[in-house]
Amino acid sequence: MVPIVNISNLDKYFGRLHVLKNISLDVAPREVVCIIGRSGSGKSTLLRCINFLEEPSAGVIEVDGVKVEGGEKGREHRQLVHDIRLKTGMVFQEFNLFPHMSVLDNVIEGPVTVKGMDRTKARELGEMNLDRVGMLFKKDEYPNRLSGGQKQRVAIARALTMEPRVMLFDEPTSALDPELIGEVLNVMKKVAQEGMTMLVVTHEMGFAREVADRVLVMADGEIIEDRTPTDLFASPKDPRTQALIDRYRSGGG
Amino acid sequence: MNIFAKKQPDTPKSQAELIYDAFQRKERQFRGNVALSWIFLLLFLVFLFSGQELTIGGITFSTIKIDRTFIGENMVFIAGGLAETIKISLLSITLATILALLAALGRLSTVPPIYALSTFYVSLIRGTPLYLQIFFFFLALPQLGIVLPGLWAGVIALGLNYGAYMSEIFRAGLSSVGKGQREAAMAIGMTPGQTMLRIVLPQALRFAIPPTGNEFIAMTKDSALVAATGFVHELMWRATKVGRAQFHNLEALIMAAIFYWVMTLLLTAIQSRVENRLSKGDR
Repeated sequence: MVPIVNISNLDKYFGRLHVLKNISLDVAPREVVCIIGRSGSGKSTLLRCINFLEEPSAGVIEVDGVKVEGGEKGREHRQLVHDIRLKTGMVFQEFNLFPHMSVLDNVIEGPVTVKGMDRTKARELGEMNLDRVGMLFKKDEYPNRLSGGQKQRVAIARALTMEPRVMLFDEPTSALDPELIGEVLNVMKKVAQEGMTMLVVTHEMGFAREVADRVLVMADGEIIEDRTPTDLFASPKDPRTQALIDRYRSGGG
Repeated sequence: MNIFAKKQPDTPKSQAELIYDAFQRKERQFRGNVALSWIFLLLFLVFLFSGQELTIGGITFSTIKIDRTFIGENMVFIAGGLAETIKISLLSITLATILALLAALGRLSTVPPIYALSTFYVSLIRGTPLYLQIFFFFLALPQLGIVLPGLWAGVIALGLNYGAYMSEIFRAGLSSVGKGQREAAMAIGMTPGQTMLRIVLPQALRFAIPPTGNEFIAMTKDSALVAATGFVHELMWRATKVGRAQFHNLEALIMAAIFYWVMTLLLTAIQSRVENRLSKGDR
């Protein structure tokens, strides 16, 4: 099958620090890929390079036919980056809802401002996606009136309303109180079951085991394992993976 | 039987409610006493200028005598300056807001000449007195063949001056909007222009409105400096004109002071209302 995300020979430097080392990765349509690893392993940077929130130092990113070379500049490059951002939706650890807009306005801001969609039509689409994440009942509230879990569900709806081909989740539950994590994971599971291609940077091993088709383990800017969750959790090859799994088993964060 | 006795509530108040009630009572009492003291101070001030004579223990004290006929005769003339004062202030704050916003955006720019222009402007204006700037536009420019009407010389000087100070407010407002907001906007495909206009500026402005109100209040008072040009017939100019002409500066300045004070009180009340509304809800 033709991959929907294709990353080849991706390198990223922060100053002299080499945070991503020649990464290559294919993701098939409808596939759910979880990326785990210790902090500083480069997993968030990898995700942020896919929609160019971080400009790759070198390498090629291709999402659904839009192919962008890293490290370029100029008008054409900016247009390609814009196109790739329309193909991808992103959910952040800190939600980043727009505090000066109601829930519904948050969700339709993209379609109206970026795609020039008619407001009435955008509202219909937005309400449908709020319903998908179970947040339609709060559509006229402002973000500061929502719990963390509710905020993150709205953020997921905001990304979905742009109708992306791939969803990127950057530690979506790490800023949540433990009792609020479940509702967000449930929504993510539902989105996955509806056939969305997803890349999820997470510490939630339960979610990875249950929902992911593949689990990538990152360490020191490299992918050290890329296997199905069943295989990975049963017999980790790398001692660093073993250490990571043990740490979660013992309840460490 | 006492039919006026208060009906007892069905359940006695909890301890928390009692403590809260006591706290509220204390607060109310404090505010009430402050208000009373204010009224007393005000009455004392009025008394001080009442021209009364009183004898205590054989010594006669007399308070300051002011000429009421002068006040009556010139009330309309001095009050006529109110409109001009308000006009200068509104025009200047508009100019200042635009300049401040541009200077703040310039300060965030990564293009060296733009950054330099912004910091140069702020440094030059903050490094010279407002009084000098007003005279510069009114007296120095004509030497170069540029003659500005007094009002505009004042507005440009005040606008430039306040713009430089207010640019700091706007800069703080812009940097109060977190990086995550920009990233979220970029992730849904917004251009840098759209991100600034739709996401960053609205949040920055909300942050900047209360301090801008303070600047506006300060400006209505600094607008008095424009009187020095002699061609803008606002409050201060009118007060000094009639005061000097009839050697009644005391009365004239007191009248102007009252006008400024009342204006400031009104503006402060309006501002705290706006602030309350902004702080409510959607933050």
